[in-house]
Amino acid sequence: MINRDQFSGLFWLAISIFVCVEAARVGIGSFSSQGPGFLPFCSGVILSAFSIILLIRNILRRPEKRNLKDLWQDMNWGKVIVVLILLFAYAFLLPRLGYLITTFGLIILLFGIVGRTRLWIKVVAGIITVLATYIVFYVWLEVQLPKGILGF
Amino acid sequence: MAIFHNLFYGFSVALQPDHILVCFVGVLLGTLIGVLPGIGPLGAIAILLPATFRMSPVSAIIMLAGIYYGAMYGGSITSILVNIPGEAATVVTCLDGHEMAKQGRAGPALGIAAFGSFFAGTLGIVGLMIFATPLAEFALKFGPPEYFGVIFLGMTLLMYLSRGSLLKGIMMAVFGLMLSFVGLDPIEGSPRLTFNLLQLWDGIGIVPLAMGLFGIAEILNNIEETAAPEVLKTKIKNIFPNLSDWMQSKWAILRGSILGFFLGILPGGGAIISSFVSYGLEKRISKEPEKFGRGAIQGVAGPESANNSATAGAFVPLFTLGIPSNVVMALLFGALTIHGMRPGPFLMANHPDLFWGVVSSMYIGNVMLLILNVPLIPLWVQVLKIPYKILFPLILLFCLIGAYSVRNSIFDVHLTIIFGIVGYLFRKFDYEAAPLVLAFVLGPLFESNLRQSLTLSRGNFSIFFTRPISAVSITLAIILLIIGFMPYLTKARQKFEEK
Repeated sequence: MINRDQFSGLFWLAISIFVCVEAARVGIGSFSSQGPGFLPFCSGVILSAFSIILLIRNILRRPEKRNLKDLWQDMNWGKVIVVLILLFAYAFLLPRLGYLITTFGLIILLFGIVGRTRLWIKVVAGIITVLATYIVFYVWLEVQLPKGILGF
Repeated sequence: MAIFHNLFYGFSVALQPDHILVCFVGVLLGTLIGVLPGIGPLGAIAILLPATFRMSPVSAIIMLAGIYYGAMYGGSITSILVNIPGEAATVVTCLDGHEMAKQGRAGPALGIAAFGSFFAGTLGIVGLMIFATPLAEFALKFGPPEYFGVIFLGMTLLMYLSRGSLLKGIMMAVFGLMLSFVGLDPIEGSPRLTFNLLQLWDGIGIVPLAMGLFGIAEILNNIEETAAPEVLKTKIKNIFPNLSDWMQSKWAILRGSILGFFLGILPGGGAIISSFVSYGLEKRISKEPEKFGRGAIQGVAGPESANNSATAGAFVPLFTLGIPSNVVMALLFGALTIHGMRPGPFLMANHPDLFWGVVSSMYIGNVMLLILNVPLIPLWVQVLKIPYKILFPLILLFCLIGAYSVRNSIFDVHLTIIFGIVGYLFRKFDYEAAPLVLAFVLGPLFESNLRQSLTLSRGNFSIFFTRPISAVSITLAIILLIIGFMPYLTKARQKFEEK
């Protein structure tokens, strides 16, 4: 089974190769007349070198006993996934439904993630949060929050 | 005499009602953030940065600075009472502070932390006043090779002093540089690493990056944990240390203050390193080292003083050289840039109200913190009891809306969430985000100074070794890297010889 250093070493190697290819595409130039890709290419080469060193070090040392799966053992990783889905959904719906509706929905759903909370507490807390943050961001800080279908 | 004249000018700026108000808001928020485990001054500054856009640059930096040194005060409260550091620079305070609390001496522990922090913060501000002007004058001699050398040394020091693996620290710094290259090339104006996305032509913003890596990632890690921290149930009495406590702590406070200030100046240094070094020093020179880890008051006094004076020291390279010495200063650098200020040797000359106003406000802020912290400790203890299930949705919301407010861009909200996932995975795979953020902020300076130097020298790298300041800086950086990798090389050679 692959351990975390092996996985991350391969990941960084892939990233650095990708950056080097992209940098070459836009033009590296020369030492005296550098192109837009000069420093990205150099950083890609350096990162690839250190990725390979990380992989070699992992082979030479006593390998870490924990594999990737163990990183999430005895952890509430399901809650993390739920929160991430909610956050991406919030970002998707925010310009469409507007700040007020989307934020209210997000807060109510997030309150249920850690521990149990009664529905009426969630609703009241959601309303207070939405109104307070609306006053802070929209009224006080003049942030142009998305209006969505409600128009305000 | 000029220093006093400038200081009085600074007080005339800092004592304006709006500046006193933002100073108070900053130190109050900073203490609150320091008390609450889960979000440190870095995440707080990232989250509150957009809130400063409507303020003047002076007000913005006064508030953000207040958050920084306020968090140092507040962090010690959770370290002592809950044995969980409120923020990274108060990790060491847990060792002896919590032991003192278990022995029924939470009050003196909290009191000496507060008074030591006040003394150290004041000493640090005096040091800032004394060193800033001559250093700014010295920095006028800097050209592109010198700036490149100092930036390279700063990044190397941060990687060298980071808690984790040096190898991984370097990889993070290089990745941070890569992220800073996203956008339009500063000379030719052609897009690079933008994946044909118009939204990336302006590059990645520091706010989504920092909020994601430090704000959202912290929340994701916390909700994954199954155990909830418990507040120590103890009566807090006698907050003012007695004479014996003072006699035992006085030299630790002085040593911590001086050590912290100079470590704070060093690029790569800062409050975290200062507190660890101070603890190590106090234990080493103590006549009773066996008491450390069992409630030695010097183990609280020294590190707490060091982390506070380091916050003042950290402002020296930021304001004079325009080089942030640690990640928090990198965010303040970003804040100054957003407000149209260019940190560097000309900042003091062109914007004396900013520099001397901020310095003077730090005096005022330290007094406010002493007033807030000593009698209000029971209140902060109540704050610790706020359920996390109420706090974390609010922190997440502030992260997302804060990111949105910078450019009114939903793309930035998506970017914040993505960096939140990246930061969460970094912690799983044992990578530190601090070198990444510092390299990201310094990336444009790093690139422009390197390219200008190579253009001047027509591609000849010897320019960095023929000019004394850059030669010394780069040589020191190379020595540090060699020293950092020596243990690995020695072990590899031993294994090879055994085979």
